[in-house]
Amino acid sequence: MNYPNTYRLLLIAILASAASCTSLNITNYYHKHHSTLDGMEQVYLNAYNTKPFSIEFTDRPFDHVSLELSTDSLTYIYEFAVGEPRLQDTLLKYGYNPAPINNLIKNMRSMECTWINHLDYYADETRHSLIYISLWPKTFDLPFVNKKYYILTYFSQPQYFDADGDLMTGRRLRRIRKINGETFRKINDKVCYTISAQFR
Amino acid sequence: MHFTPVPPSYRFFLTLILCGLLSVRHGYAGGLPASQANPGNTVPGSSTREQALDYLLKTKIPDSSIYWPDIHRDLFIANLKANIIAPLALYQGTNTNFCGYAALSYLPLHEDPLGYTRFMLTLYSEGKAAWGAAHFNPSPAVRLAAGTLRFKGILDIRPADQLWFLVLADHFRSYLNFFTRHFHPGAENTFWAAVNYGKFNRMIRELFGYRVQAKGSDLIRPDIPDLYDYLTQSLHTGLTYLYVNNTYLHKKNHNKFKGHFPTHFIVLDAIRRIPDQQDMVDIVYWDYGGRTLRQVSMKFLKKITFGVTVCIKQSSPTGPTPHS
Repeated sequence: MNYPNTYRLLLIAILASAASCTSLNITNYYHKHHSTLDGMEQVYLNAYNTKPFSIEFTDRPFDHVSLELSTDSLTYIYEFAVGEPRLQDTLLKYGYNPAPINNLIKNMRSMECTWINHLDYYADETRHSLIYISLWPKTFDLPFVNKKYYILTYFSQPQYFDADGDLMTGRRLRRIRKINGETFRKINDKVCYTISAQFR
Repeated sequence: MHFTPVPPSYRFFLTLILCGLLSVRHGYAGGLPASQANPGNTVPGSSTREQALDYLLKTKIPDSSIYWPDIHRDLFIANLKANIIAPLALYQGTNTNFCGYAALSYLPLHEDPLGYTRFMLTLYSEGKAAWGAAHFNPSPAVRLAAGTLRFKGILDIRPADQLWFLVLADHFRSYLNFFTRHFHPGAENTFWAAVNYGKFNRMIRELFGYRVQAKGSDLIRPDIPDLYDYLTQSLHTGLTYLYVNNTYLHKKNHNKFKGHFPTHFIVLDAIRRIPDQQDMVDIVYWDYGGRTLRQVSMKFLKKITFGVTVCIKQSSPTGPTPHS
């Protein structure tokens, strides 16, 4: 088939535009939104330390939220429409303070954050923890293309990096640390990022 | 019409897959007879946590083992103790394919912790051990790997669990091992460590001597007209495992196109209908080191369930056979 040159040019322009959209700079993204993102991390950390939980948005319009509420013996997973009264009742029933969780849900929607969680990792047989935030910007939501997520990890203490900015296991043991199977890169001493095909 | 000839290697691989599927279908109709269920005349062991802890305390354990150079004795003992006291906390590790072995461990840790402890200590001290009909003589690659797996969450500091999972994966094979026959660094995340349905049921029969009532396969969902009733009955009959498609149960991405095959084993603990909601049920299950309660529709549960395995205990308990 022969397409006129203008159609070919248009097609190339569309493809180039789509490709450029997927290579957004996460560092710039973080610096642009760091006050909201850091605020979310702090609210989550404080609320998690009171009573553990995770939040997941299950759909692209960010209209449905799934809560994982952890007790000593059981983790409860419930899905709600955002704003549904049942969500508040459930939080109260399991002894959660609804205010920080509602605040997180609101900010997660505005930042297109699909998952926030607390992860343990081990260094020299000692347990450490981090906050794991997955962002699903619209630019990563191309049709017929597997989804990609920006992952931000917030560590409680400064980390070690190599000259390329890859997260390392420690100062003496120069080995790349993987979290959730991914290699992370430096944004600042305590915040790292990666781009992943999985949000958790 | 023109057909491209299939290369012999592909034909062989295709035959292997079909063999695997057929072997699973063999156990499809209501389980195997008891004689087949116990190839090594193994009968399920039965013991208590107290017996296991007592055995652990009284057994002389060498400071190090020449067979397991990277396993530290104190961590190993602490790991065994933790498994005996809190068996539900057993964790397969982040991004590994050990879920089949972790699910399998639910049985000995709950029903025969002494047998489990004895087996693990024999393996540590002598480098080989037997349990039921299975005689384990781990490969050198696995011996070097146990204790070195990292970035797997709490599995990093659980050398006994690393040893247990690696030894099981090293010993039991299936058609999934066609391309990955031997352990290599990182193999814990590959097909080398994966467990298909036939292998899972075979491991339970050979190791623990349970009669296994299995319905399902690796590709085709079981034809169970009333899944709710069937699962309720199963829970009354014995320990019930579900072989599920985890890309739906434990979603990790929002891709429209997902694999339509099972990838994960869970222990079903309870199922109950939710009042005033026709198709919704609460399911309580164990995986990833904890119990979860989740509300799902029966349609969803049917969609993700590819196998239901019920483990039925037989009489005359004995423990595993320490290697001599």
